[in-house]
Amino acid sequence: MSVAARTLIALMLVAPLALAQDARLSARLDKPTLIAVNAIVDSARVAKLPTAPLVDKALEGAAKGSDGQNIIVAVRQLSMQMGSAKRVLGSSATPDEIKAAATALAAGVSERDLARLRSASGKRPMTMPLAVLTDLIVRDVPIATATSLVVQLARSGVKDPELALFQRNVRADIDRGADPSVAATTRARGLVLRSSGSGNKPTE
Amino acid sequence: MRDETEQHIEQIARELRAPVSIGRELDARVMRAVRRLPRHARFGLWSRLITPRTVTVTPLVWGMLAAAVAAFAVLGAMHAGADLDRAAKPIARAFFPRPQTPAQSQRVQFVLVAPDAKKVAVVGDFNGWDASHAAYQAQHRGGGVWSVTAPVPLGHHRYSFVVDDSLWVADPTAPRVTDYDYGMPNSAIVVQEQK
Repeated sequence: MSVAARTLIALMLVAPLALAQDARLSARLDKPTLIAVNAIVDSARVAKLPTAPLVDKALEGAAKGSDGQNIIVAVRQLSMQMGSAKRVLGSSATPDEIKAAATALAAGVSERDLARLRSASGKRPMTMPLAVLTDLIVRDVPIATATSLVVQLARSGVKDPELALFQRNVRADIDRGADPSVAATTRARGLVLRSSGSGNKPTE
Repeated sequence: MRDETEQHIEQIARELRAPVSIGRELDARVMRAVRRLPRHARFGLWSRLITPRTVTVTPLVWGMLAAAVAAFAVLGAMHAGADLDRAAKPIARAFFPRPQTPAQSQRVQFVLVAPDAKKVAVVGDFNGWDASHAAYQAQHRGGGVWSVTAPVPLGHHRYSFVVDDSLWVADPTAPRVTDYDYGMPNSAIVVQEQK
């Protein structure tokens, strides 16, 4: 086989990989960072993890002017968290659920609590409950309290719009000076009562 | 001896010149006899279909055939596109009933109160964290209120406001995420299909 033929075959084999890489990364990352990020993204692809969040994480780092080493660490950490999330949530988890679960893990939620929430949610999507759980933790509701409340809400069949309203109400209470834990517990209790009771729509 | 021979020949010639009488049913009798014969397997329809044969086609005819097929395919594709789409939808709905195609994105309003800002943009997973993206530049509505309504794909997204190209501000009204990898906070949004 001639050298030209071998080169052509090699190019045909490599071309799909090159096309699979995000052009935005090439435009915004320096070469060493690009190579490392692409390697992490390729590994995630092989592990059947969503790759878009990894690309977004790298783009975020570039937009915020972070150095290459920080970007690589952040992307690798997110990849590991998504791997843990997928392991807990199972193969049926959607990319959004995996992404939201990885964010919750980063906030300090344990894999065991993640499994509890999965069990409490049944077959309903977990993206919104995970986003609300993460927000509660960021707003200084203790992790154990926040997890228990969201698991309880999920078990009560509270729907996503009601969860979003719950998050807004707790945030407003905290902004007005309420203790985060008390605000979250009080609002959750009211929501559970409404869900299990008359079925009236929640109000602000 | 010679006379006898000539007479004999003359007699044969007369016989040969005499008109031959063929019965009216001869054709029918012959065909009946032919039909009674066993059919040869080689001439059956199936045999004709599966028996390999060599077809000789001249380059000219072959080229014309190829050109005709190509022209037919191009014209067919041009005319069939719209019809196929129109015709396939009801068939697909009959087999796979779905109420409607889910929307791929929703328009979301982002609002930030920033009285001293000169410029506010929204960046996030939905626009590649590109602060120069035209669709996500907030407009000043007066009184320090900046807002922009832009399409956001369905799903979970992290985002932030960028004020004056330098200050990163999390959306105070949205759920937060612990994205401190780069030292600046982000917000989260879960965009769902509106029912």
